[in-house]
Amino acid sequence: MISVGAKALTNFVVGGDLKDSVFRELIQALPVAIYMTDAQGRLTYFNPAAVKLSGRVPELGTDKWCITWRIFLPDGTPLPHDQCPMAMALKGAEVPTGIECIAERPDGTRFWFTPCPAVFRDAEGRILGGINLLMDITDRKNAETEAAEQFRAIVETTPECVKIIAPDGTLLFMNPAGLAMVGAASAADITGRNVYDIIAAEDRDRFREFNESVCRGAKASLQFDVVGFGGARRHMETHAAPLRHHDGATVHLAITHDVTERRQAERAALLLRAVVDSSDDAIVSKNLNGIITSWNKSAERMFGYTAEEGIGQSITMLIPPDRLGEEPEILARLARGERVDHFETVRRRKDGSLLDISLTISPVRDAAEGVIIGASKIARDISERKRVERAGLLLCAIVNSSDDAIISKDLNGIITSWNESAERMFGYTAAEAVGQSVTMLMPADRLEEEPEILARLRRGERVEHFETVRRRKDGALLDISLTISPVRNSKGVIVGASKIARDIGESKRTRAALVASEARFRQLADTMPQIVWTARPDGYIDYYNERWYEYTGFNRNVFGHAGWEAILHPEDVERRHETWCAAINAGQPYNIEYRLKDKNLNRWRWFVGRAVPVRDTEDKVVKWFGTCTDIDEQKRAQEKLRRANDDLEQFAFSASHDLQEPLRTVKIYSELLASRHVDGASGEARQFVTFVRDGATRMEMLVRDLLAFTQVIKMDDPGDEIADANDAVKEALANLAGAIAESRAEISTDPLPAVRVHGMHLQQLFQNLIGNAIKYRSPQRQPIVHVSAERRNAHWIFTVSDNGIGIAPEYKENIFGLFKRLHNSNEYSGTGIGLAICQRIMDRYHGRIWVESEPGYGSDFRFRLPV
Amino acid sequence: MLIVEDNDADVFLIREALKAKNLSVAIHVVRDGEQAMQYFDQTDADATAPCPSLVLLDINLPRKQGAEVLRHMRQSLRCRNALVIAVSTSDSARDREQMAELGANGYFRKPSEYAEFMKLGDVVKVLLESGTGGKE
Repeated sequence: MISVGAKALTNFVVGGDLKDSVFRELIQALPVAIYMTDAQGRLTYFNPAAVKLSGRVPELGTDKWCITWRIFLPDGTPLPHDQCPMAMALKGAEVPTGIECIAERPDGTRFWFTPCPAVFRDAEGRILGGINLLMDITDRKNAETEAAEQFRAIVETTPECVKIIAPDGTLLFMNPAGLAMVGAASAADITGRNVYDIIAAEDRDRFREFNESVCRGAKASLQFDVVGFGGARRHMETHAAPLRHHDGATVHLAITHDVTERRQAERAALLLRAVVDSSDDAIVSKNLNGIITSWNKSAERMFGYTAEEGIGQSITMLIPPDRLGEEPEILARLARGERVDHFETVRRRKDGSLLDISLTISPVRDAAEGVIIGASKIARDISERKRVERAGLLLCAIVNSSDDAIISKDLNGIITSWNESAERMFGYTAAEAVGQSVTMLMPADRLEEEPEILARLRRGERVEHFETVRRRKDGALLDISLTISPVRNSKGVIVGASKIARDIGESKRTRAALVASEARFRQLADTMPQIVWTARPDGYIDYYNERWYEYTGFNRNVFGHAGWEAILHPEDVERRHETWCAAINAGQPYNIEYRLKDKNLNRWRWFVGRAVPVRDTEDKVVKWFGTCTDIDEQKRAQEKLRRANDDLEQFAFSASHDLQEPLRTVKIYSELLASRHVDGASGEARQFVTFVRDGATRMEMLVRDLLAFTQVIKMDDPGDEIADANDAVKEALANLAGAIAESRAEISTDPLPAVRVHGMHLQQLFQNLIGNAIKYRSPQRQPIVHVSAERRNAHWIFTVSDNGIGIAPEYKENIFGLFKRLHNSNEYSGTGIGLAICQRIMDRYHGRIWVESEPGYGSDFRFRLPV
Repeated sequence: MLIVEDNDADVFLIREALKAKNLSVAIHVVRDGEQAMQYFDQTDADATAPCPSLVLLDINLPRKQGAEVLRHMRQSLRCRNALVIAVSTSDSARDREQMAELGANGYFRKPSEYAEFMKLGDVVKVLLESGTGGKE
C-alpha cells in the first residue's frame, strides 16, 4: 500500500517540486518518512517524519540517495548509499518491493525500515527525480525477533527432537534434544549429514518414502528405529509437517519422541502377561471382596473354569464347603498387608473333584497411594507331591521292613539313618548309631576301607557288592556285602551315601562248600564216559570234562560257546541256541538232541544234550550241570525201527484190504457152489464146501480185525476230541446185541465220565472187552458184566468185570499180544486181535490196560486214561 | 451199460444181480482203468458208438484207479452225464467221499454174501428209474 502511495505521490510532483501547497502540507504532516531527490540522487525534499526516523537533519543538495546516516542489510552487511534501493531505482533498476533494511542513526541506535522508492519521468520517459517512503518496521521486526527467539528457546529446551530435513534427506537442523537422542555431541556433527544414515536399515526405505511425501506437502506420522552415533538403537515416533524453507523449497519439519521406554514397557507388560499365562501355577487376582479380577491359563486348566467364567465370580466358588472358613481369615490377613505363604489346602474344580494345592497370596497395593486393593494368588497343584509324600512313607516302610541293613551317612562318614535290620544285624539301636561314625562298625584291620569308599562316593561312583567284614556291638564279626550309592541333594550335589549291607555269612559258607564239592565233582566227571560240562547262571560254559577234549580235540582253554558252534551241525545251531537260552531264562532243565562232528570219523553223530540248574538254598540258580550223551547208535536204530514199523503198518493195511477181495469171492462162490451144485451131492462134498466156507469166514474176521488193528494208528491225530464213555458203551452194546441176546447176559453200567479219546477208539475198547466177557462166559452161570469208572488222581480207571472163566495168572501179560489166543477155535471162536487192538489204543493215548482175574470166578479188565 | 471191473467173478455176480431185476440192457465190460478211459475217448471220437447210460465203476482197478476214470469220464463230450455207481470192497469213508465229490451217483459196497450182492440190482433199478442224468 505504501509503495502504491509513493507512486501516486509522483503525480503531484512536477519537475521535482511539490506544486500543490495543500499536498505539501499533507506530506509535512504525514508520520511516514518521505524524501525526494533529483535525477542525480541529490536530496531535494524531506518531511519532519524523515528527520525523526533518521535521527538527523539531512542536507538538501548534498546528501545523496538517502536520508539515513548508514544502511545495513538484514544480515548486518553495510550497504553503500549508492546501492540503496532508491539509488537503484534512480538508476533505472526495478526495485523489488518489501525489502527490509537496517539503518543506523548518528547516535548509534538502529531501526528497521522498508523503502518504497519511485521515480518521476518526463514525457520522453527520462528520469527527472525520485521520491522514497521509509516505513519504520522496527516494532514489527522486534516482535518478530522475539518470537523467533522464543521459538528457538522452545526448540532448544523441548525434550522432543525437532529437526528439519531436506527432500534428499539432508539434515538441515536438529535441536539439542534430538542431538542427544542420536548421540551427537553438537549440531556440527549432524548438520549437513544425511538423516537416512542414522535410520535403522530395516526402516530406511519406509522413512525415505515418508520424508519425500512430507516434502511434497503431506502431514504424517511414523514410527521407526534410529541407530545413533554410539550405536544405540532407539525407537522413535515422529509427527511431521511440510515447511517452506527460506530458499523456497518445501522441507520436512518433524517433532520426534523417543518411545523406546514406552515400547519396552508395553513389551514388558506383554511378557509379564505371557509369563503369567504360561506359568504352571494358577495365578489369580481378586479384590478385597474376594471377587476374581484376573485368571490365567493354568487357572483354567487347574480349576476347569475359563477366564470368562472365573472373572467376576467370588473366589469362594473354588472352596469346598468345609473350607469356607479359610477365606475370611485370608482376607483379614491381606487387609493387614500380610502375605500368606505356601498355605496347603484343598480346592474344588468345576467338575466337583478336589485338588491338593499350595497357595501363596500377596496383597496388591495401589501404585500411587499404596492402599491395598486386592490380592494376587498363586496356586500350585501339589497332588503329585502329595502322592510322592505318600510314596515316601511307603519307601520308609520298605526300608524298615527290608532284611538288609540300610544306613545313610554324610560325607564325613557320620551315620544319619539306621533301619530296623541295621539294629538287628549290628546290635546297635538307631539312637546309639545315628551321629556316630561308621568306623565304629569296622574291625581295626578294615579301617583303611572307609577313606577309599568316601573318595569313590565323592567322585559320584557307586560301590557294588563289596564283600567285607564288619563288627557287631558285641564284638562278633560279620561277613557282609555292601552296596553304597552317593546321595545327591536336589541340586545334584553329593551330600552323603546310602549303604545297604547284607549278611552273607550263610551264602559264603555255602559257596565254600560249593567250591569243595566242585572239586570232587570234577574228579568224578572226568571218569564219566559222557561229555560233562558246567555253565555259569548266565549260560557261559566254564568247564568241560576230559571226554570233551578227547571227542573234539579242542584246546583246553576254549570255553563258552566258541568251541561249541564250530562242531555243531549247522542246521542245529539256531535250535540249540534258542533252547539253551530258553532254559537259562526259565531256569528249567534243558534237553535237546543235536549232531556233533566226530573229528576221528569226520562225520556227524547224534548226541542228546541235557542240563539241569543247580540251585542254592534260596532257590537261585548258581550253576548249570550238563552232559552230552552219544545216542548215535540208538538214534539210528530208532530210525530203522520207525521205518520198519511204517513199512509193516503199510503192509498190514494193504494186505488186509487186498485180502478181503479174494476172500469175498471165495466166500460167495462157495455159497453159490453149495446152493447150486452140492445140495444134492454126497455128504463129503457138502462137508468140504462147509470147510471152505468156514475157513473163508474165519479168514474174513481175521482180515477185518487186522484192518481195525492197523487203523488204530492210521486214524488221524485224535486232537482234542472228547468222547462220552456212556455213549461209547451204548454203541458197543448195540453192536453186541446179538451176542447178548444169545447168551442172555446181564449187563449193567455205572455213570461214566467223558475222556479225551477218539469216540471210535473208546467204543472199540468197550466192544472188545464186553464182547470178551460174554464170549468167555462160564457155562455154569448166566453171564453178568458190569462197567464202572473210578477217578484216581489225574486218571480215570475204567473196569469191565465179568463172572466168566477167568484167566490163569501166567497168561495175564500174553493175552494183549497180536494173535494170542488161549483156546482153540472149537472151544471159543476169535482172532486173537481184539485185546491187541485194546493195547494198541491204550499205547496211543499213553494209557494202560491190564487184567485182574481169579480163574474160574471171573476177570476185571481195567484201563486207565488221563482225565 | 458199461461195467468197469477187473474181477470176472464180480462181473458174473453183477450180471446175476441185473438179471434178477429183469434189467435186460446191453452190457459192455472193460477190465481196467485204462481201457475204460479209452472207451470214453472212442465214444467221443465216433458219434455212432453207443454211449452208456449207466457205468458201474470199480474203485480199485489195474493201471488207472476208479477215481481217475470217473474224472476222465466227467470231462468227456458225450458221456459226461452218464449215471455212475461206484463199486468197491472197501467200506472206507474216504473212498465214498472222494467218489461222491467226483460225481458218482451211487456207491455200492461189495458184500460177501450172495443175497446181499444181489441187492446191487435194486440200486441200479432205482437209479435208472429216477431219471437222474442221462445220455449226452
